Amino acid sequence: MNKLLLTLTTLTVSAALAASAQAKLAVVATLPDYAALATEIGGDKVDVTVLAKPTEDPHFVDARPSFVVKLRGADVLIEGGAELEIGWLPPLLQNARNAKIETGAPGRVVASQGIRLMNVPANATRAEGDVHALGNPHFMVDPIIAKAVAQHIAQAFSAVDPPNAAAYLANDKKFETSIDAKLQEWGKAMLPFKGANVVAYHDSWVYFAHRFGFTIDTFLEPKPGIPPSPSHLAEVIAKMKAQKSKAIIVEPFHNRKIAEKVAASTGAKVVDLAQFPGALPNTATYAAFIDALISRLTAALGS
Amino acid sequence: MRFFPSIFSITAAALFQAGAAFAQEPSPKAQTEIQLLQKQMLEMQTGMQQMQAQHQQEIAALKTQVESQQKVIDEFQKSVASTAPPMPAGPNDKPPAERGALFPTTDASVVAAAPPPGGSSPPTAFPTTDASVTTAEPPPASATGFSLTAPITLVGGGKTYMNISFDGQFAAAFSTERELDRLEVGDHDPQQRGFNARNVELALDGAVDPYFQGFANIVFKLDNENETSVEAEEAFMQTTALPWGLQLKGGQFFAAFGRINPQHPHVWDFADAPLVNGRLLGPDGLRGVGAQISWVMPFTWYSQFIFGVQNGNGGTGFSFRNPGEDGEFFGRTTLDRKLRGVQDFVFIPRWESSFDLSPTQTLLLGVSGAFGPNDTGASTRTQIYGADVFYKWKSPHAEGGFPFVKWQTEALLRRFEAGRGADDAFPVSEIFTDWGAYSQLVWGFEKGWTAGLRGDYLHFEDSRVTDDSERQSRWRASANLTWYPTEFSKLRLQYNHDFLEANEFLDRHDVDSLFLQFEFALGSHAAHKF
Repeated sequence: MNKLLLTLTTLTVSAALAASAQAKLAVVATLPDYAALATEIGGDKVDVTVLAKPTEDPHFVDARPSFVVKLRGADVLIEGGAELEIGWLPPLLQNARNAKIETGAPGRVVASQGIRLMNVPANATRAEGDVHALGNPHFMVDPIIAKAVAQHIAQAFSAVDPPNAAAYLANDKKFETSIDAKLQEWGKAMLPFKGANVVAYHDSWVYFAHRFGFTIDTFLEPKPGIPPSPSHLAEVIAKMKAQKSKAIIVEPFHNRKIAEKVAASTGAKVVDLAQFPGALPNTATYAAFIDALISRLTAALGS
Repeated sequence: MRFFPSIFSITAAALFQAGAAFAQEPSPKAQTEIQLLQKQMLEMQTGMQQMQAQHQQEIAALKTQVESQQKVIDEFQKSVASTAPPMPAGPNDKPPAERGALFPTTDASVVAAAPPPGGSSPPTAFPTTDASVTTAEPPPASATGFSLTAPITLVGGGKTYMNISFDGQFAAAFSTERELDRLEVGDHDPQQRGFNARNVELALDGAVDPYFQGFANIVFKLDNENETSVEAEEAFMQTTALPWGLQLKGGQFFAAFGRINPQHPHVWDFADAPLVNGRLLGPDGLRGVGAQISWVMPFTWYSQFIFGVQNGNGGTGFSFRNPGEDGEFFGRTTLDRKLRGVQDFVFIPRWESSFDLSPTQTLLLGVSGAFGPNDTGASTRTQIYGADVFYKWKSPHAEGGFPFVKWQTEALLRRFEAGRGADDAFPVSEIFTDWGAYSQLVWGFEKGWTAGLRGDYLHFEDSRVTDDSERQSRWRASANLTWYPTEFSKLRLQYNHDFLEANEFLDRHDVDSLFLQFEFALGSHAAHKF
C-alpha cells in the first residue's frame, strides 16, 4: 500500500514538474487547419496539439480518452464551433475539467465567431440531410477568412500570454502579408476559370468557390451526408453534360469510385482536394495547402 | 417611462369628452359637477405634463452621463489598441472605398446568404480584404429571425438554455420461446413476441449555471399489457468548475460499473442486454440515487478513478437491498432492511485507463466493484467485481465514422451471502459465487452499416441442482446486421441462439429468436462518448 502511494506521489510530482518546466503555451486545436494557423502565430512560443486527423471526416472524430489528457493540460483551445465538432467535443470537455478553456474563458477560441457563415438554413430540418443550423462551417478554405481567424487566434494568445503579445502580433502581420501576396497568385491562376461549373461530392466548398469566382451547385450527394443514389447520379451526369463541367472534387474520406464513374461518363476529371493542411502531400502550412488546392483544381479545369 | 404619462393624458382626455357628451341635457346641479370634474381633469393633466417634463429631464441627464462614460471607454480603447491587436473588423468598419473593391461573384446561393456589397467592375489586383466575411457579432441562430409562420426552433440554434432530444426504440420479436420475458434478461429488451416499445425516452441537458451541468432521462416503457410506465431513469447534476481534475455528481444515475451498465440502451450495439449484466447487476442495470466523485489523474496517459455511493435499494439495486418479487429473493423471504448507517450504502469504485496503441487504435481498460448489503439476512452482504476491455480501430480516412472495428469484453463475478431470510425461516445460510462474461465484435464495414457477433456465458453456483430457471447456467450466441440511414435512425436485424443447460430438475432448453429493432432520434445532436 505504502509502495503504491509512493509510486503515485512520484508520478504526480514528476508530471507536475514536467508541466512547469515546459513554459510554452499549450495549445490544442480540434482540427488541422486551426493547428496550422496556431503554429504560424505562436511560432516557438507555443506547443500545438491537434485532435483530428487531416484525412478524416471532421464531424465524426472519435472522442478518444487520450484527448481528455491533452485538453486537461491546455492553456488555449481552438475550435471551429457552429456545430462542426458537436458530435465529439462536448463529452471530452466535460471530462477534461479545465477552467482555462471553458466557454467564455480567454483561452477558448471559437473560430466561427465573428465570421459571417453562408448557407444558413431558414428552417432547421433534418429532412434536408445533415444541415447545419448555424450555417456551413467549412469556411477555412477562404484565405481572407483564414486571416480573420489568425487575428482572432493572435488576440487570444496575447490575452493568455501577455509577455509574448508583441511576437504573436508580429507573426499575425507576417502571416497576413504573406497571404495577401499569395492571394494575387491564386487569383491570377483562377481568373481564366471565372464562372466555371465545378461539381463536388459534398457541399463543403462554398467559401472557396465564392472567393475564387467559380460556381459549385451540383453535388454527388443528393443531400448533405446522404449517400449518392443511382437516380440522383443520373441527374448529375445530365446536368454536368449540359453545363460542360470539367471537375469533380472529392475529399480523402469520400467514395472515390462513385466520382470516377461519373467522371467516366461525362469526361470530367476527379480532383482530390482536402479541407485540411496535411491531408495532401507537402501541405503542412496553410499557404502550401491553398497552393495545392489551386494547382490541382486549375490543372483539371485547364485540361 | 414616457409612455406611462401619455397613456394617462389620453385617458384623461377621453374621460373629458365622455363627460362632455353626457352633459348634453345638463341640470344645474349636474353642470356644477361637470365643471368640478373638468377642473379636476385639467389639474390631473397639468400634473401629468409636469411629470413628463421631469422624466425627459432625467433622460437627458442620463444621456449626457452615458456620453461622458463612452468618452472614457473610447479613450481606454485607444490606449489598449496601442498594445493589443484590433478586433476582427465588422462589415461597416472598413472605409467604403475598400468595400466597393470586392471581387465579384456569380454564385447565387452565396449571394442569398451573405450578399457581397455592390461594385461590379473587376479590380486590377485580386482583393485581399473582404468586409462581408466577418461580422461584429457571433453568427445568428437563424437567417430569417422570428416569424409567426416559421416553426419555433427549440434546439440546434445554439441559443437555447438546454438541449432536448427524444428517442424511440422499438422491436418486433419472433422467438421459439413463448414467454420471452423469462428468456430476455434486460428490462428494455424485447419482452414479448410481436412488437415491443420498451424504451421511448426524453433526454434533457444543459448548463445549470457556471458551476453545474444538469442531465435528465425520462423513459416511457410499454409493458406486455401495453400499459405505459414512466421511469426517472437518470436525473443528476454535475460540477464543471472543480480544480485538480475533480468532478462531483449527485442525483439519480447509472453506476459507473463496466461499459454496458452506464450506457443507455439506444447506444448498445445489440438489441438486448448481455446475460451477465441482466442477471448480476439487474434487469435495469445498477442505478440509483446517490453521489459520485471522479478524478482524472495527472498522468501522461488517460486514467480516471471514480467512486460512487448509492442507496442500492429496490429493483435498480438488484443484488443489494432488493426485496425481490413478492418479497422473495434467492428462495428466501426478504427482510426490509432500512438504511442504518454508512455501511448500508452500496459503494461503487472504478478505475479506467486508456492507451493509444497507434494513431488509429485505442484501448480502454477498466476494473469496477460494487459492495453493499442484501435483503436476505440481517447482516448479509454482496460483492460484485468486474473487468472490461474495449478496443477500437478506425480508418484514418473515415467517412461518417466508418469503417471501424470494435471489440468489447466484460467479465463479472458476484459473491452473494444468502442469509436465512425473514425470521430465520430458511434452513441454511449459504454463499453463492456466480460469474459470467460476454465478448462482442462489431465491424462497421461501410458508411452506415455494421455487422456484429456476440458470445455470452453465465454460470450460477449449484446450478446442477436448482429448480429455479433464473439460476440455470446458460450461454448465448448472437449475430446482427445494422443499417444507420443517418446517425438519427437505425434498423437492426438480430438473431439469438440461447442454450440453457440441463440439470437434475430442469431440461436443457434451446431457443431461437429473431429481433427487428428500429429507432429514431429527434432534437439536438447527441455527442458520442468513447
